[in-house]
Amino acid sequence: MSATVTRAIPADAAECARVLADAARDRRTVRIRGSGTKSYIGDIAPTDIEIGTSRLAGVIDHEPADLTVTVGAGMRVADVAAVLARAGQFLPLDPPHADEATIGGVIAANSNGVWRARYGAVRDLLIGTRIALADGTVARAGGRVVKNVAGYDLDKVLVGSFGTLGVIVEATFKVLPVPAASDGLVARFVRSADAFAAADAVIRGASRVEACVVERSEGPAWRLAVQARGSAPTVKRAVDDARREVAARQGKSNELGDELGQMRELPARAIDGALVRASLPLAASPAFAETAARLESLAALVADAASGVVRVHLLGDDEAVIRDAEALLLAARVVGGSGRIERRAEQLRSRLSTWPTRPNGDFLMRRIKDSFDPAGILEPGRSAFA
Amino acid sequence: MRGLVALLGREKVLGAREDLLLYEYDGAVDTATPDAVVLPESTADVAALARFCHEHRVPIVPRGAGTGLSGGAIPVEGGVVVSFARMARILEIDVPNLRAVVQPGLINLHLSTAVAPHGLYFVPDPSSQKACTLGGNVAENSGGPHTLAYGVTTNHVTGIEIVLSDGTVLRLGGKAVEDEGYDLVGAFVGSEGTLGLVTEITVKLTPLPEDKRTVMAAFPTMDEASETVSAIIAAGIVPSAIEMMDQLATQAVEASVHAGYPLDAGGILLLEVDGPRDGLDDARARIEKICRDHLASEVRVASGALERERLWAGRKGAFAAMGRLSPDYYVQDGVIPRTRLPDILRLVKDAGVRHRLRVANVFHAGDGNLHPLILFDSRLGPDELERAKAAGLEILTACVEAGGSITGEHGVGMEKNCYMPLQFQPSDLAAMRRLKDAFDPDGLMNPGKIFPTPSRCREFAFASTAR
Repeated sequence: MSATVTRAIPADAAECARVLADAARDRRTVRIRGSGTKSYIGDIAPTDIEIGTSRLAGVIDHEPADLTVTVGAGMRVADVAAVLARAGQFLPLDPPHADEATIGGVIAANSNGVWRARYGAVRDLLIGTRIALADGTVARAGGRVVKNVAGYDLDKVLVGSFGTLGVIVEATFKVLPVPAASDGLVARFVRSADAFAAADAVIRGASRVEACVVERSEGPAWRLAVQARGSAPTVKRAVDDARREVAARQGKSNELGDELGQMRELPARAIDGALVRASLPLAASPAFAETAARLESLAALVADAASGVVRVHLLGDDEAVIRDAEALLLAARVVGGSGRIERRAEQLRSRLSTWPTRPNGDFLMRRIKDSFDPAGILEPGRSAFA
Repeated sequence: MRGLVALLGREKVLGAREDLLLYEYDGAVDTATPDAVVLPESTADVAALARFCHEHRVPIVPRGAGTGLSGGAIPVEGGVVVSFARMARILEIDVPNLRAVVQPGLINLHLSTAVAPHGLYFVPDPSSQKACTLGGNVAENSGGPHTLAYGVTTNHVTGIEIVLSDGTVLRLGGKAVEDEGYDLVGAFVGSEGTLGLVTEITVKLTPLPEDKRTVMAAFPTMDEASETVSAIIAAGIVPSAIEMMDQLATQAVEASVHAGYPLDAGGILLLEVDGPRDGLDDARARIEKICRDHLASEVRVASGALERERLWAGRKGAFAAMGRLSPDYYVQDGVIPRTRLPDILRLVKDAGVRHRLRVANVFHAGDGNLHPLILFDSRLGPDELERAKAAGLEILTACVEAGGSITGEHGVGMEKNCYMPLQFQPSDLAAMRRLKDAFDPDGLMNPGKIFPTPSRCREFAFASTAR
């Protein structure tokens, strides 16, 4: 570990690959930085080199009628959205850190928002990438067409790889036309069981909603936020259906404001204490949330009812936060889910590891890592299997 | 052979010449005879078999129903074919979690039929869904007409149990949407049996749409049909399926299925919108208008489930119907950006003319996933298949040059592995090879597939046109 960090801002994929090859030769460790919004994830220590992706930006290809877009990985998601909006289209991803997050960072961190109910996650929308590798080569995975099974789906391995295999320099996504109408509701419930039951009814109903999220923050109340987008008749139907499910469970509906944005941005706010992120079988969320609600240090909980991804923010005395975080990770595992400490305050770093247990298949992950990065220079501390 | 019988018992091993003949082909055009066929009944059987083959350095080739269209289940380098016909059970239907856990030999349609009483279905619906298996779907990352809106197999699999080539049994993912670490489930789906043997699959179940509208539109030529597809997408409508058929395909289908397609149309579109009932008629009306604006000679809306089934039976029976036109066909499934459809369809036609072969087209127009069915007659000599393959290669080259792919859902297999350098640079293939070596360092799993092999690919030397 050196005291000074060398910063490299490569202008293209080839230059990026050269930086990596040099680093591998000299055994100098590398961190990859987009906007730096998710630098809290992982058990990271300072590296010798930091590669910035800011010059790997811009729209490379966008043929609106093909419903695909190819962009540089350093481009901000918000800037991609602005370009697409001019063509009446949108990228169906709404990751946290909405203003700053870059495309490469969103892929590397598998960073999803509340829209996956309808459109899927990064893995479902990403159809191609170019990556600079530690051996100095540039490889392409996938392609620019919406359907493609030629060779292995390396894109899937890159999603959530935290830069441990290479630097994503370019990505192609499926996009969609902007829907004609949008509406939603937010409802309050006294009991968590009612909020989750209403959410469950919404996601199983005939209407297809875009977001369906349960939240608990200040006070004992639970909130359910539902958003629908589409043609005017389908949106009206979806909101009417949701309102009926809410009323049937003693909930009180109101018009949707920016609640979904606030729920999505919980990771950005959770600076103190610890943020636990769990991925659960759908039906396990209500009991998990009920468990979380009894914890001494619970500050906020956001549960995506459509995907089973639940985030819990814990605040307070360090000992209580650590105890509660460990209890939640255990609770996630025993129901067949998984979890991580997504974020924690500086003083908790040494006491709360991001990935306290190894995932299944860790030996295969290790082999893949070793084969892409034999010198072990890329993103130390960001491998769940280490 | 004797070792396998001792290991698994006589009733799980086939070795007689007449038995092996049944396993030397699949839905494509290549054949190779296995040294033995094993019919495991459990994961333990599969693991024991893998350990045996690992010890004796024998290749393993997994096989579902043998409906594959790229020679994926053909033992091109010999070895043991593993048929999953006896591992075909639904292990669990988990309605609260919207998941099913199944064995790999389960037939695709049987899953949707079994979960329909719960108002659920399994989305991927390959045209072979009455016969093809979930294990095969996982291997090939199969699609189908309705993947336009709802994704292909990889978007609907959350967990797998696999047996590696050394016999290690591994459970990856589960009922949750994701796990920590690399997405090995995503890496495995679509790996064509080259990374391991899948012995259990956890899939997403999706609530059945409340209702559907199915529209059949007939156009004077394929050009108007193609332009209609672009216009519908440009109008912001995302149908659940947009299928296209040319006149030759229509004639074959009508002769065998009687789906009610007009015989005089140059191109036919089959479109479907589904979802909540509200809004469906609105979407249908907009589609009808766009079709008529593009000179559709006939626009017919299915009046009910029966007529819808009939219209779809025509599409799904199209490959089988080719027997009406020709004793053999060779099908490619290259993909292009949708906007290039009219050019490429003309090129497909020209390729057929140049090689003196008829080509029928029936394909997923909404995805730009072509299926040119190149008709030939192997009784006329080996030259017929050679010309069919030459025409196919020209079409795939054009697809790649248009920014597309050599395969959208049928897989690379042994049929297109020599063509991989058309689409991928050596560095791209090297990255894929790293994944292969991590899962199967000894190269025993389904060898001779996906990656170009020096022995068979010597005559092909392509410079990749990929950007």
